[in-house]
Amino acid sequence: MNADSPSTLPINDQETTDPILATPAQQPKLQIRLKNEDGVVKLILPTEAETPASASWNDLLEQLQQRLQANIRFWQPLAVVHLIAYDRLLDARQLQAINDALSDVSLQLQIVVTSRRQTAVAAATAGYSVTQQLAIDPLVPPSNANLTPLLAEPIYLQMTVRSGMDIRHQGNVIIMGDVNPGGEIFAAGDIIIWGRLRGIAHAGYPNNPQCLIMALQMEPTQLRIADRVARAPETPPPQFEPEIAYITPQGIRIARAVDMKTTPYLRELALPPSLRPD
Amino acid sequence: MTRIIVITSGKGGVGKTTVTANLGMTLAKMGHRVALVDGDFGLRNLDLLLGLENRVVYTAVEVLAGECRLDQALVRDKRQPGLVLLPATQNRKAEMITPNHMKWMIGELAPQFDFVLIDSPAGIEMGFKNAIAAAQEALIVTTPEISAVRDADRVIGLLEASNISPARLIVNRLRPAMVEASEMMSVEDVSEILAIQLIGVVPEDERVITSTNRGEPLVLENNPNSRAAKAFENIAHRLCGEKTPYLDLSVDRGNILTRLRKIFTK
Ligand SMILES: Nc1ncnc2c1ncn2[C@@H]1O[C@H](COP(=O)(O)OP(=O)(O)OP(=O)(O)O)[C@@H](O)[C@H]1O
Ligand SMILES: [Mg+2]
Repeated sequence: MNADSPSTLPINDQETTDPILATPAQQPKLQIRLKNEDGVVKLILPTEAETPASASWNDLLEQLQQRLQANIRFWQPLAVVHLIAYDRLLDARQLQAINDALSDVSLQLQIVVTSRRQTAVAAATAGYSVTQQLAIDPLVPPSNANLTPLLAEPIYLQMTVRSGMDIRHQGNVIIMGDVNPGGEIFAAGDIIIWGRLRGIAHAGYPNNPQCLIMALQMEPTQLRIADRVARAPETPPPQFEPEIAYITPQGIRIARAVDMKTTPYLRELALPPSLRPD
Repeated sequence: MTRIIVITSGKGGVGKTTVTANLGMTLAKMGHRVALVDGDFGLRNLDLLLGLENRVVYTAVEVLAGECRLDQALVRDKRQPGLVLLPATQNRKAEMITPNHMKWMIGELAPQFDFVLIDSPAGIEMGFKNAIAAAQEALIVTTPEISAVRDADRVIGLLEASNISPARLIVNRLRPAMVEASEMMSVEDVSEILAIQLIGVVPEDERVITSTNRGEPLVLENNPNSRAAKAFENIAHRLCGEKTPYLDLSVDRGNILTRLRKIFTK
C-alpha cells in the first residue's frame, strides 16, 4: 500500500489514549439478540455476568424497543417469541414490559426459558410456558462469542442512529440510515453505513485491525478501528462521496470507494475479516 | 378521535410552552375543543403564558389524590371558550406522579376534546416520561443551535422507542439574517439531521416576549404584521392536514442583488 497514494486522504491520526479502549478486559455492553429460527423469534437476553453494572433494566428495555422498531418490516405478524433469559431475574412487571414491547410489533411472547426459579415463577404466574434450564456455571459464559474470533451474524438495521443511542454487536453492522452526532456504533467486524456517518464508528472492536468502516458520507466525530482513533479533517471536503476507512501502518486512512476497486490491497480488505488472507 | 400531542424538546428554554399556548389558542379559534395539559410539574408556567394564573384553584395533583374532580381542576379561558387548561403543581407532591397517572388522567380528559396538547418539561427524566406517557403524536421544538438539535435528536429516538408517531419538527427562533450570513444553522441543516417531517418555522420575534409578559398569547388578537403569529397559525392549520405554504423568511431589507445571488446559488 502506497501511503502517499493520491486516492487516500490523510487524516488526523493518533494512538489511542482512551482508557476504555486500552483495556482489553473491558467488555462491550452485551446486546440483546433477536434470532429468527424456523418462524420462531428467539429473544436472547445477556446474562447477569455479561451485563455491566452500569446497564440498567431501562437501558435493556429501551434497546429491545429500538431493535424491534428498527426491524419492523421483518417481523411476521403474530409470530411466536421464545424469551431466553438465562440467569436474569425478571419480575412480573419486567415480563409485562417485554410482552408490551413485543406486542407493539405484533409479536407474541409464548415461552420463557430461564435458569432462575423466581423468574420461572413470575413467568408461570403471568401465564407463559416456562422451561427451566439447569443453572449456568457462572465461570463458563453461555455463548462462546467472546472466546472465539468467530463473528456473530451481521445485524441489519433500518433506522437513524440518533444522539445517545449505541449499537454494539459481535459481528458486522449494516445501517440503512444516518448515524447522527452523539450516536455510536461498536462492531467486532465491519461497519457499513448507507447514509451519513456523523457520530462515532468503531470497527474491529476491540482489536481487529483488518476491519473497515464504509459510509456514503463520511463526516464522523471520530473513527476507530481496533486500537486506533482518528478524527475527520477540520475542513470537510467540498463534495462528499462514498468512502472507506481502513488501517495502514501509518494509521487510519480514508479512500474514495470508487478507487478501492483499483487498489489490490483494498480488494483484499473488502473481504469479510474471516476470509481475508492473513 | 381526540388527538393527543406532546410538545417536547430535550433542551430547555427553546419555546415548548410558547408553542403550546399559541397552538392551543389558534386551534380553539378555529373552532376546535382544546385542552392544554401543563406537564411541567415543579416549574409550571403554561398558566402564566395564558394569563390564567390567578384562576387556578386545583391542579392535576389534587385530581390524582382524589381531592377534586377532573372538571373542577380545568380552567376555562374566558377569551376563547373552546380552550381549557389543566394546570400542574409546583409543590413537592409532584414527585409522586407516574406515567400511569398521566395515562389515566388524560384518558379521562380526552373524550370531551378534539385536541389534548401536553407541554413537556425539558430533559429526559421522569417529568418527560410522564409527559409522553399518554401521547400519540409529538411536536419537537428546537432552535437552530447545535446543542438544541442534538437534544432533539435524542428525544426523537426515545419517542420512536415508545412508538409515538408521527413526531414533527418545529424550528423556533430562526433569524434569517444570521442564516444568510452563515452564522446560524439553516432549517435545511436542522431537518437533514433530525430526519422527521417539518411542520413549521417560527422566526425570532420580540412580540413573542412582550405577549408572554402580558399573559396573552401572540395569536390571541389579530397580529397581521407578526410573522411569528402567522407561523403559529400555519402550524395549527398544517396539524389539521391543510396544505399551507411556508412563510418567506428571507431577509426583508434584501436588495435585488442579494435576491439574485440567492437565485443563482440555489
Ligand atoms: N419565536 C420567538 N421569538 C422570540 N422569543 C421567543 C420565541 N419563542 C420563545 N421565545 C422566548 O424564549 C423563552 C423561553 O420560551 P418557553 O418558556 O416557551 O420555552 P420552554 O421550552 O417552554 O422552556 P422550559 O424548558 O424552561 O419549559 C421565553 O422568554 C419566550 O418568550
Ligand atoms: Mg416550558
